[in-house]
Amino acid sequence: MILLLILNFLFNQPKDEIIIKDAWLRPNGKGMTTALYFNIENAGKQADTLFQVDFEFAARVEIHETYEKDGMMGMRKVEHIIIKEGNSFSLKPGAHHIMLIKLKKDINDGKQEEFLLHFKKAGEIKITAEVKKQ
Amino acid sequence: MNKLLLLFFIPIAILFYTSCKEKLPLNKDLTKKSYALLNQDSVEVKFPEIISGNITVIGFIFTNCPDICPMTTHNMYLTEKKLREQKIGNVKFVALSFDPERDKPSVLKKFAEFRGIDFNNWILLTGEKIIITDLLRRFDVRAIPADSIYSDDGELSYSIMHTDRISLIDNKGFLKKNYTGSKLNIDELFNDIKNLRGN
Repeated sequence: MILLLILNFLFNQPKDEIIIKDAWLRPNGKGMTTALYFNIENAGKQADTLFQVDFEFAARVEIHETYEKDGMMGMRKVEHIIIKEGNSFSLKPGAHHIMLIKLKKDINDGKQEEFLLHFKKAGEIKITAEVKKQ
Repeated sequence: MNKLLLLFFIPIAILFYTSCKEKLPLNKDLTKKSYALLNQDSVEVKFPEIISGNITVIGFIFTNCPDICPMTTHNMYLTEKKLREQKIGNVKFVALSFDPERDKPSVLKKFAEFRGIDFNNWILLTGEKIIITDLLRRFDVRAIPADSIYSDDGELSYSIMHTDRISLIDNKGFLKKNYTGSKLNIDELFNDIKNLRGN
């Protein structure tokens, strides 16, 4: 039991050491695709990894990055994002983003939507994002 | 005396011409070929006849694009807003889809409505794939299907690698300048439009 507690202390990170700021997403219609952006701050003493995002109103949710090749822009899926201890990571337009594929409802400007982020150490973190047309 | 005047004015004229050419480096006539397309209301329109007589800002997009194309569309929206604030009219905004298989007119209309786009000033265009491909070539815009996946309901979902582009067309149908759509410098486009209008 004591060993389990020690292992838990060593390998888990308190939720409040991962801080999510400025979460927003673009509006779009049912059946379409949009993107979620936010800033992750890791105030903890160990690196953490974002590996999954849940959104009940999308058929599929994936972590993506935008890239440039031969003068063209493309997107590709990435498995996870590592946020080193004491650092932050921005999911922002033209870079990493959470792709919300095949929306199950209209996402309207000015509203708020809830998401569940999954981190390897901090566990599940619930966030609220503003819908903004930008 | 006349020779002295010529010596004075010719370099100034050359300087003015060179400066304009640098600001608006292209001069490609788009009126040589007409393209039958569909607007957001499923009405057949001819391009470039539909923009004839207007300075036009055209952006190249697909509505399933979550990141770059909404940025391009938003930059056009902000340019239009700035023009309206400065009471500069007669500028059309066109969004041409390079994904005609998914971007049917109703889809384009919905995409625009979610962004508060004013259809008095904007036209969203789609059409037959072969026609769109030919038209994209006129603008040197490339769009290639990329990663694809079948969703749980068996529907094919795919992404598109594409040129990130907004273009400026003068009121005679000549392509004058290209910009990076998602990273547009709105003031640059705004000033180029003013320059085309002779303001």
